[in-house]
Amino acid sequence: MCKVRIHVTHRLLFAILACAAIAAPVLADDPDNCLLCHQFRGLGRHDTEVDRVHLYFVDPDYGHHRKGPHARLACTDCHEHSEVSVIPHQPVTPVDCARQCHLSDPTGLERQFSHDNVQGMLELGVHTTETLSKLQFAEGPLLREGQSICLYCHDEPLFRDPSRAIPQFRELSDRVFDRCDVCHTEKVSADIEYYVRHIASRFQPARSPLELAQVCSVCHSDPQILQDYELKESVASFVRSFHGKAALLGDETTADCLSCHVKSGENAHLMLGSLDPLSSVHETNVADSCIKCHPGAGEKIAEAAVHLDLPTAHGTLEFTIALLFIVITVLTFGPSALLVVLDLLQVVVGREHAGDEWTRKLAHEVIKHPQGRRRLIRFTIKQRIEHWLLSIMFMTLVVTGFPMKFADHAWAAAIIRVFGGLQIARHVHHWAGIALIVGFTVHLIDVFISLRRRAREVESVSKGKSLVKAWVSLPMWISPTDVRKTFQLLAYYLFLRKDRPSFGRFSPTEKFEYLGVFWGTVLLGVTGALLWGEEISSRFLSGRAFNIATIAHTYEAFLAVIHVGILHIYNVILAPKVFPLSTATLNGHTPIDKLAEEHGELVEQTAQELGISSERNES
Amino acid sequence: MLGRAIRSLVPRAYALFLILLICWLTWLSVRYLATSLFSPSVVPAQIAELPTRLDSDFLQTDRTAWQALDATEHPRTPLAHYHRLDSWIHPDSYNGCTQSGCHGPMPHTRRKETRAFLNMHATSMHCGVCHMKSDETSLLLGWYDLDHGEARDPPALLQLYGYLTSEDNAKKFAAPGKVVQETIVKLLRRAAKEADDLPALEKLADHFTRVRPTSESFQKLIESARTSLPRHFRGEYGAKLAITNPDTGEPILGHPGTKGAVREFLDRADSIEGEARTALLDKVHPRRRDQAIQCTSCHHSQQGQIDFAGAGYPPARVDALVNPVVAQMIEHIDKGKSFQMPEFIAPDSPARSTHEP
Repeated sequence: MCKVRIHVTHRLLFAILACAAIAAPVLADDPDNCLLCHQFRGLGRHDTEVDRVHLYFVDPDYGHHRKGPHARLACTDCHEHSEVSVIPHQPVTPVDCARQCHLSDPTGLERQFSHDNVQGMLELGVHTTETLSKLQFAEGPLLREGQSICLYCHDEPLFRDPSRAIPQFRELSDRVFDRCDVCHTEKVSADIEYYVRHIASRFQPARSPLELAQVCSVCHSDPQILQDYELKESVASFVRSFHGKAALLGDETTADCLSCHVKSGENAHLMLGSLDPLSSVHETNVADSCIKCHPGAGEKIAEAAVHLDLPTAHGTLEFTIALLFIVITVLTFGPSALLVVLDLLQVVVGREHAGDEWTRKLAHEVIKHPQGRRRLIRFTIKQRIEHWLLSIMFMTLVVTGFPMKFADHAWAAAIIRVFGGLQIARHVHHWAGIALIVGFTVHLIDVFISLRRRAREVESVSKGKSLVKAWVSLPMWISPTDVRKTFQLLAYYLFLRKDRPSFGRFSPTEKFEYLGVFWGTVLLGVTGALLWGEEISSRFLSGRAFNIATIAHTYEAFLAVIHVGILHIYNVILAPKVFPLSTATLNGHTPIDKLAEEHGELVEQTAQELGISSERNES
Repeated sequence: MLGRAIRSLVPRAYALFLILLICWLTWLSVRYLATSLFSPSVVPAQIAELPTRLDSDFLQTDRTAWQALDATEHPRTPLAHYHRLDSWIHPDSYNGCTQSGCHGPMPHTRRKETRAFLNMHATSMHCGVCHMKSDETSLLLGWYDLDHGEARDPPALLQLYGYLTSEDNAKKFAAPGKVVQETIVKLLRRAAKEADDLPALEKLADHFTRVRPTSESFQKLIESARTSLPRHFRGEYGAKLAITNPDTGEPILGHPGTKGAVREFLDRADSIEGEARTALLDKVHPRRRDQAIQCTSCHHSQQGQIDFAGAGYPPARVDALVNPVVAQMIEHIDKGKSFQMPEFIAPDSPARSTHEP
């Protein structure tokens, strides 16, 4: 496939070159020698009365290096010769973009050219000349009296680098031009380059999605225009969508404004209103517009909101679900953070629990026992491996996923560049997600095997509800005792209680984090799969499922990141008792201080099992 | 005792630091969650931060002030401006005249015939070159860096052009080696950087790195550089010319000891007139020339007031700068006469591109 594409590229390129090779010599860069003065960027003046700077700089490189389709135009092709040939110049009439100009085609024939036809297209769409002429901006007019309305969207056009669309082009074009230089003068090769660049730049859209958003944003995020034309804010909402975020991260393949708002095959200037039955965004055509880029998708994909703006979506299901996730985040993260802060506060005020020293001594006694050290291991090798695999997958998912969530931050684009672009980062994200789900499934199987074994053990000693009894005896099960002890811990931290509760192998915090991983992996896995396979899932689900899946995926991921990034990192790295790193997930051994503080029951239970006296008065 | 106190203090301070850190991170998280749902969405800087107007604020900004300009391949220009503005006008943060609040970066506004042309000089020369008194018959000029305002070497582009056109180097270019190649590439890269990362110079540097110095292509590239480099003599050097203190060699970037007078003038500018105003302006401008230097005083082949060679211009460039044709044209305009573009500056004429601010 790749070879075929290169082959086609070569043929196309040489066809262009063959066409260009018979071109007449190029017109002089600057037949009127306007650049004698206008090449200096400081040529200009400041009209202090209206605070307007007039810059007369014209980049000579634009013509020298054939940087755009207008590179071969003389200044007087656009500006009135009679006005600018006099020095000092006469007051200059604004350029009429629809005027006739003279172009030499590749055969050397001169022909008339005009953008007049564009005006006709505009009149058929929403951006009529009348509408554009009457635009009122919040901070006053952006164009001077009489200037062409084309300037609202267009400045001096540039060819895009064709090697973006055709990576082989860069190397290929250099080689081709080097060969041309052998026989031809510099001017001929420049001419060839002009034609090659002109046509090759058409292999891709004239503007990147982000550039297009910049252009549309001038009017479509201006408050005065939004008010005058009763338009919804559409740029900020676009960049909250997947397409907009991809655009912000420099992706060239994502849908831009024109992808949806201009019917396939139509000119961008012919943009119809959403109420026009012929419009690509008319309710009857939206699905076709979506399917244009998502060819395998069902028609329901059209129900997905491209411009979903949560802050203005009050009363919708999407808003409610987002609110629900925020509440869940506050209710889960908040108490955990409070416990951590209160724990640290004990250190600040110098409060020490009387029982810690005794438990510490007991732990030392246990460790001295030949089997003691092994008995105090809290995580088996398998659990440790699972933990580190989970950590790696989690970090990979965060590094590749969060730039999408915070696409408008500079660091997001920097991270995506490290990955070589959004497409690669997304691939990594997807496969890391799959690996996580596979790992989670393996863990689930392990849990069920363990559950079954426990159920059999329960059955052997008692009758009835063995599965339930086995379930609640799982080490990570949050029991009523755990809840009670958590409240006792809170009371201790608040100086309402003298004794701090002691925990077994796993503390309630660890059990809670484990529950979070359980819930999070399922939710993120399901919603991630829905979004990834949008073409398949849209055949069965409403497009709104994508809105909800996006909200759930992104808010749940945020909850996971703050929980792990702030609280878990504290518990296993930054907490004074474990700093610089808890060894529990490396070799299974929890530092003695931490063991004494949080897992006193485990120490006592192990001491009893090993026949070590754990009577407080004896020690 | 002290050791015990420190041992007790360190964990407490560490715990306090962690509390603050956790509280701050929690606050950021909660704030993000709240704004994501309850604050109106805003258009991000990569889209919104484009200059839409060419006004005085625009002239004071560095290109980096507009985040959207760096976000895309070809960001658009301010709306009322059609031609591309990839070459930004460097704000001069060290020019006392424009930083004082008295003059703008494009200060010449009076005469329609010459104001833009004089402003063109203002973007690559300090005001003092034309407007400050100098004891020397020939002005003692030097370059100052726009990034830090200190004296610096002549621009890399001029150095490179001098290197490529100097007859002293003819032997080197007859059989160029690695040193020649490295020198050219280094100066080209510096020149590109000084001109806002000018792609044309970067591309030329890339070409030089790819070709063997001993090859025929290298000779062709050198010839090509000699021809193409003058196209970039547009004052985009990341530096400006200024008169210098003959004792210290430092550039003189403002009227010395006038801060108080400037403040007084700015406070009273609207309220004073006549002689009092003139007297105060004299205090503000102790070094001001009564009459600014005229074009032909510098762009003149004989007894010009600027020693271009001394300022680092290579001989080939000096010849172009002192060509009096353009200066005479400006003098002509200065006398209030208009004329049609003459034949002598046709594109292939040697006089083309002979003038530089």
